[in-house]
Amino acid sequence: MSLFADRLRRISILLYAGMTLTGLGALLAIGLFFIAVRDLPRVPEPLGRIIETPPTEIFAATGERLMIIGGREVVPLNRISPFFIQAMIATEDHRFWEHHGLDKLRTLKALWITLFEPGRIQGASTITQQLAKNLFFSYRRTYMRKFRELLVALQIETRYSKREILEAYLNQIPFGVGAYGIEQAARAFFGKPALELNLAESALLASLPKSPTRYNPYRYFERAKKRQQLVLARMRAVGYATVEETEAAFQAPLQLMSQRAGTSKGSYFLDLVLNDLEERYGPEVVYHGGLKVSTTLDPQQQAWAIESLQNGLVKLDRLMGISDKDNTGDAKSLSHPQGALVAVECNSGAVKALVGGRDYSETEFNRAVESNRLPGSGFKPFLYYAAFEKLSLTPANVFVDKQITVPVIGASDWTPKNFGREHEGPMILKRALMKSVNAIAAQLVERAGPDAVIDVARRSGIKSPLTSVYSVALGTSGVSPLEMATAFSTFATGGIRHEPFWIRRVEDPLGRVLEEQIVRGQRSLDAGIGYQVVDMMRGVLTTGTGKVVRRMGFDLPAAGKTGTSDDFRDAWFTGFTPTLSVSVWVGYDRGMSMRDVNRIGITGGRGAAPIWTEFMIKATSGEPPREFTIPSDIHFETVDPVSGEIAVQLTSNGVKVALRSGQTVNSAPDESGTVKSEQFITEKAGQSTVKEASKSTTEAENNSAIIEEDLPPE
Amino acid sequence: MSDWAEPRDFKEWAKRVFGLRPILTLILVSSIFILELRFDWMERILGTYLVTTNSERPESGAIWEKSHQTRTAQQTLEQILTDRQTLQREARSAATFTQIAANVTPGKGVMLSADHFRQLYLRLAPSFAYEVISPFDLLGIVNDGRWRRTYFEKSDAGLMIYLLDANNRVLRQLELGSMQLSQLKRGEMALAESLDELSIFKNRVYSADRFFNALEAFPEDVRRSMVPQPETLLEIPGQIMRVGISDETQSGFIELGFEFLNGTERRVVLVQGHEWAVWRLRSNLEGLDMDNASSQGGNQNEPRKLQ
Repeated sequence: MSLFADRLRRISILLYAGMTLTGLGALLAIGLFFIAVRDLPRVPEPLGRIIETPPTEIFAATGERLMIIGGREVVPLNRISPFFIQAMIATEDHRFWEHHGLDKLRTLKALWITLFEPGRIQGASTITQQLAKNLFFSYRRTYMRKFRELLVALQIETRYSKREILEAYLNQIPFGVGAYGIEQAARAFFGKPALELNLAESALLASLPKSPTRYNPYRYFERAKKRQQLVLARMRAVGYATVEETEAAFQAPLQLMSQRAGTSKGSYFLDLVLNDLEERYGPEVVYHGGLKVSTTLDPQQQAWAIESLQNGLVKLDRLMGISDKDNTGDAKSLSHPQGALVAVECNSGAVKALVGGRDYSETEFNRAVESNRLPGSGFKPFLYYAAFEKLSLTPANVFVDKQITVPVIGASDWTPKNFGREHEGPMILKRALMKSVNAIAAQLVERAGPDAVIDVARRSGIKSPLTSVYSVALGTSGVSPLEMATAFSTFATGGIRHEPFWIRRVEDPLGRVLEEQIVRGQRSLDAGIGYQVVDMMRGVLTTGTGKVVRRMGFDLPAAGKTGTSDDFRDAWFTGFTPTLSVSVWVGYDRGMSMRDVNRIGITGGRGAAPIWTEFMIKATSGEPPREFTIPSDIHFETVDPVSGEIAVQLTSNGVKVALRSGQTVNSAPDESGTVKSEQFITEKAGQSTVKEASKSTTEAENNSAIIEEDLPPE
Repeated sequence: MSDWAEPRDFKEWAKRVFGLRPILTLILVSSIFILELRFDWMERILGTYLVTTNSERPESGAIWEKSHQTRTAQQTLEQILTDRQTLQREARSAATFTQIAANVTPGKGVMLSADHFRQLYLRLAPSFAYEVISPFDLLGIVNDGRWRRTYFEKSDAGLMIYLLDANNRVLRQLELGSMQLSQLKRGEMALAESLDELSIFKNRVYSADRFFNALEAFPEDVRRSMVPQPETLLEIPGQIMRVGISDETQSGFIELGFEFLNGTERRVVLVQGHEWAVWRLRSNLEGLDMDNASSQGGNQNEPRKLQ
């Protein structure tokens, strides 16, 4: 009996101790409650206010929305697929319709597991608690934070209906890839509204809020499928779906939207737009002001630009023998050559397409705008314009391609080399540009002076720092593809320069105009001289270093220039039609040499021109041929490419040159066949030193030879 | 109250355990728990309390921070828009180009309709209008049909004017340097000032009667050359008090200034006459009364009524 009494006594002590502890716990809870409630955040009324922030939207020139920042695409519950609602409830909080913000049984279970099963932590947050956390609290895990989160959840449950709570929750949860709320997520992942999600899609999306990065189906598809299976199992367990339905849903193929189309379309371009907007209005206005931004981007051209650049770079990888297997992510961006493409509308300066790298998800460095790479011979059109303007030369003037040394005061002599290390002797200037002969370019810059070349480049639209040295004419100062496309468009428009722009109009959320772009042009080059250079650049595409363009089937009137920097570090092609100017650059971020498997260097004609051509064929498809406007003071003569004299009839290799009023060419060779061109007569063929070099330039010349390709393109 | 004593046997234990008070306590406690589990009354009480104190609590937390940022952004935007609208309003109410030029600041231009520009342009005296754009050029642009709006922007030296199409492409770019602006200012002032303030008429101001008497002496075609569009003068309210003839010739034309009096308001309207015809008129005027062809002009109390 005494044993029994002893037991009873112990039980009663425990009972009373328990009651005392419960009482103390209750007192503690009350104290805690009043401490926690002191700076508990105010809950907005109505709850819909949480999504009041107007989104900043960026639109393409076609009106298509490219990006939405902030804000939410709010949809009422009746516009959300019931499958998704059930999937979320089954996964996150299957007693949602029953509790009042706190699932006590689940909480006790979670508490038990957390306390008595070391290493395991069980979550028990209800949907209302998750909503409270998302709206008001940081992601720092503390007991006080959890308690305050619970209190806010209780208030929300008391004040709002279950449907209001669920609607608010589903419209603000993050799904990753920049999608917040189910409507955005449905459109981003499956390209459809939330109402049209089927069971399989709903289960996949419902699996994401737990960890959008970890279960990102674009990166970890298998992992996402496993999580989808778990969600389907939960739905089955809760009674929302049958075994057959869940199995069919798991087997159903998922038609995920292309990530590029869904989330990254024009991302380099959008970065440019956002940076610009931030500079003008500040980040607060951009991300919280609900701006409506109309841009110049043509989504179709942008898609073609991405496709052409990527295709071109893949071909380049193959040409260079680079394998794709071993490298991903950052390593890939360093071991593979990168590229950039910019397309500018000539008669306005509007940027129609802009790609700043191989893959935005791998590297966000915008090479189209931010990089500063040597354009090589791509700079020669500015030199030839300067020579025509300052020295009154014509495309028919004859210069001698020979080894040349230009003395530079205070530095070693400058001895530029031709690509093939060979010299062809006399030729007209048009041919010299078409063949990109460095020795003749050096003679021109030596006479015109580097400042004249820089002046023309500036007038055309080049803004990067240019060093006043002879070699600037051969592209030894870095520029960006955007600058090149813009500057060449000045030639395309007959000398009218348009500043490049990408934002056409900015409005506030109510549609009131904050700013709009005025499309203004400024005459900066002479139309006649500009046309002479354009006519020469047309020759680059027909028989010059860019003839791959015609060989690949692009047959609209166009002009352009290849460029390759020293040791094949940069390969360029910039060309234009009367309406569109496009610049393509390829090269390594770290400036390594690009060579194919046979150790032959990758030139602008091999690396960049095919990308340009693929893009232009697509971008101009269906366009009727449109000729460049010929200024009234231009007339044409067909001349011999070597002597510069009017070609004898039936001469097959006669070259048509554009001449301005008052400019003439020699009528015909005399009987002895001596070429009478002034330039040719005054120059001695063969190796020589230009003694009359300007002595004013004191800066050290870049003595490295900038080489231009003369290899047959790929 | 007696001290608690340990029960001595099972019976007493049972009596104590199953007594009324413990059972009632057990029922009460169980009821509290069951009712809480069933009806969530604790959560409801706390929730209701929190709802009642909601308005006293701070606007803190992620959603409120975002809300504050949104408010700040909206205020910034509102300020930008207010500035812009003020500028636009002032520009719309401007009666002259120089008033517009005074309003625009670097980086903040104003946009007006094409019609508004035309109205401003038509208010200019022909000689001053030429400073802005030739009327023939403007006629060509109007007839082209693409001109929709006009954008005014401050430039280094003065005012840039862009005539724009519907896509904001510049159809024609006009630049008014500081010199041109000051000339315009003078011309625009002349529209509301006395002839005495315009130096170009310094030596040749005549009374209206004298001027029209002299004019009547010529046949209609010659008079048309002297005052090419008299209809424009008919549109001006008030009476012509005096007429000035400039000493200067511009591209075969000579400026004539008609000083109108409308109530207490004086206004000068400039008209260009053909040089050869105006010379004849001036000879006639001076031949009629050389002594009165002075800078003071005729009798201001002898108006010629036009309306």
